[in-house]
Amino acid sequence: MNRQLAWQTYEKLPAPQRRDVEWQRFDLRALNLTGIAKRPQSVRVTLTGAPGVTLRPLDEDPHLGQSVPADEPHKFAALNAALWQHGALLHVPAGHKTDRPVAITYEVTGENVTAFPRTLVVVEPGAEATLVQRFTGQATGLHAAVTEVFVKEGGRLHYISQQNFENGILDFTLKRAHVARDAEIDWVVGMFGGALTRYDVECVMDGEGGTSFMYGIGAADHRQQFGQFTRQHHRTGHTTSDLLFKNVLRDAARTNYAGLIKVEKNANGTNAYQSNRNLVLSDKVKCDTRPILEIESNQLRCTHGATVGRPDAEQLYYLQTRGLSKEQATNVLIEAFLEPVLARIRVPAVYEEFQQLVRQKTIR
Amino acid sequence: MNPLPQELLRGTYKEGFHDDIKPIHQVPKGASHEVIDYMCDVKDEPDWMREFRHRSLDLFRKQQLPDWLPGLRDIDYDAITYYASPVEKSARKWEDVPEEIRRTYDKLGIAKEEQKLLGGLGAQIDSEMAYHNIQETLAKKGVVFLSCDDGMKQYPEIFRAHFAQAIPPEDNKFAALNSAFWSGGSFVYIPKGVKCDVPLSVYFRINAEQFGQFERTLIVVDDDAFCHYVEGCSAPIYTTHSLHAAVVEIFVKDRARCRYTTIQNWSTDVYNLVTKRSFLYKNAVMEWVDGNLGSKRTVKYPSCYMMGEGAHGEVLSLASADKGMWQDAGAKMVFFAPNCTGRINSKSLSGHGGRSSYRGLVQVRDGAKNCRVQVNCDALILDEKSRSDTYPTMEVDGDLATVEHEASVSNVSEEQLFYLMSRGIKKEDAVSMIVNGFIEPIVKELPMEFAVEINRLINLQMEGSVG
Repeated sequence: MNRQLAWQTYEKLPAPQRRDVEWQRFDLRALNLTGIAKRPQSVRVTLTGAPGVTLRPLDEDPHLGQSVPADEPHKFAALNAALWQHGALLHVPAGHKTDRPVAITYEVTGENVTAFPRTLVVVEPGAEATLVQRFTGQATGLHAAVTEVFVKEGGRLHYISQQNFENGILDFTLKRAHVARDAEIDWVVGMFGGALTRYDVECVMDGEGGTSFMYGIGAADHRQQFGQFTRQHHRTGHTTSDLLFKNVLRDAARTNYAGLIKVEKNANGTNAYQSNRNLVLSDKVKCDTRPILEIESNQLRCTHGATVGRPDAEQLYYLQTRGLSKEQATNVLIEAFLEPVLARIRVPAVYEEFQQLVRQKTIR
Repeated sequence: MNPLPQELLRGTYKEGFHDDIKPIHQVPKGASHEVIDYMCDVKDEPDWMREFRHRSLDLFRKQQLPDWLPGLRDIDYDAITYYASPVEKSARKWEDVPEEIRRTYDKLGIAKEEQKLLGGLGAQIDSEMAYHNIQETLAKKGVVFLSCDDGMKQYPEIFRAHFAQAIPPEDNKFAALNSAFWSGGSFVYIPKGVKCDVPLSVYFRINAEQFGQFERTLIVVDDDAFCHYVEGCSAPIYTTHSLHAAVVEIFVKDRARCRYTTIQNWSTDVYNLVTKRSFLYKNAVMEWVDGNLGSKRTVKYPSCYMMGEGAHGEVLSLASADKGMWQDAGAKMVFFAPNCTGRINSKSLSGHGGRSSYRGLVQVRDGAKNCRVQVNCDALILDEKSRSDTYPTMEVDGDLATVEHEASVSNVSEEQLFYLMSRGIKKEDAVSMIVNGFIEPIVKELPMEFAVEINRLINLQMEGSVG
């Protein structure tokens, strides 16, 4: 990777400002980028492999930077490209199928530290794998991660990603997956920690018959600020993408979802769906949602929906008539609200882990 | 973008003719303080308005276009004529309208409409109202329907209390431009409790070339009153661009109801950049029925600002983008008061390389408890050259609000086509039936004559779009 070019890109791109549409209702006062390259980096990488797959610390690889290049117009991705020291490479050879999950854990600790983990996932033709990626630790400072995923012809990847930092850190993460012909990615993203957490989650549909399922959970409380920027880019026709991001907001939390479905000219036979649902549990939260469609093809079906609302009064009443207190009834409804996303996790232990995190964050 | 070949349009856009009408007043091209002084002198306006116009022009020069609004950078503001008036004052009788202007309106069939279904009619050509009249029965009830200029002079108190209160010149660049050069438009006042059950209608016509039309409409519907206002517009086809930047402010007072229907059918060389906003007070109801069928580029988001408890706002939007058009239409709902509701229903068509965008904003502010709003947008793309976008924004502060948005984009379904064709219906007719069914929920809200006109226009736009 050309670190020089990446650093130049980083310097050229403007810092987030409240007058940009995507940052307009965020509190950015905690963001301090001065002397960023000189601050200590603190990342501990733990890798748990599976038989037949390669899982090793990331160094050079022909795929590196092929999806998110050094001059990616994303300030924090460019910063990552310039400064990353820690990373992991998962390579699943052609035709190799395993349901043993592979795990990559990044732990960030310390005061006012930086962390730039970079992950590269290559699933070769006809291969199948499950990846669990965790970001955790007690730290303050700045975390900017990049994950590049390539799922090749007929490959399948079940990708579960979970971020559970203690609340002091600012997290800027870009994840992009390229889905080739007849390939499939089945994706669950969990956002739980961070003072300010911005996730860019993107899929690029490169080959006919490709499918992408993108599911996300955000559980925000206290003064946490979450930004979720999703992108379903249909470059080729006869591709399917399905997206559901669900957020639960408590206290004075703040979420900003912006999703784009982009269907290129001649990407006929595209089937795309995008949905953002927000459950609001306090009158001090701020919740924005901007689901966007840009469509230049006509043989397609594309729908989206977004809602912001409180727990349904009738459902609450019903549960209370069955003897539950109002709090218990609300808790049941929160779990029910998030279950469609949790249910996408096919690894039982990880499902339970998510369930625990959800309970810790949302249930009172 | 290159201007469209004339021969392509001549067949479909029947309003594309132009008449030679000599302006009585015309100013040099360009937006300048001299033009404002000239206009104020001609119109004999009070000093506060002169100051307001000058201040607005300064604001216009300072304001930037927002980043999310592309495609408007190539407007040459200095090539446009900001004021041209072919008439001295608006007439009450058609016989008093100068003959060549009457001819224009006869061709458009405007005068005939008046006898049939309207309670009042206004007709604006370029900068000024050529005709403004209202049925005597309505006038007796105290309904005021005048050109905006006459409204300022004859009802200064009502005018000043509301003018620029909903849309100040600071609001956006085009509102500032309108505030500097406004001329014509309507002033409507419906007194307390009066139900004006026949529509008041205005027709806007641009006749001059490279012209800027800046009509200004102010509607005040007092407590418990009702009003239905209908506007239509068209222009000749030139190879140069004209600019239409209107401002419409509506105040719907306690328990009152207002419906505002627009059939916009500008020729494809008109930039249509309009700010429309209504303030709704306690239990008021506002309905915008917004049909956009013409223009090169339309930027228009009729808005409802819920200022009083229990208000209800509704926007029905229909956009059809044909060759060379970009319909950037949508709606805004902003909630400041509790227990308010809103509904946005948008349908758009794009064909022959046209582009339709829905752009919407739903904002629930602190203190607006228990509000509900529902947004539905459906888009139909008729061929592979065309494009459709949906840009909704929802911002919710606090809880107790329910905001829902649903949208879909699709083509004319093969299954529906096959079904109709298997019943012996020709392909073109089948497509036409499907499209008419798609827009039906909006079209049925229009007065009969307009519904017929919309169907005619849409069918024309669709000709040859399926192959």
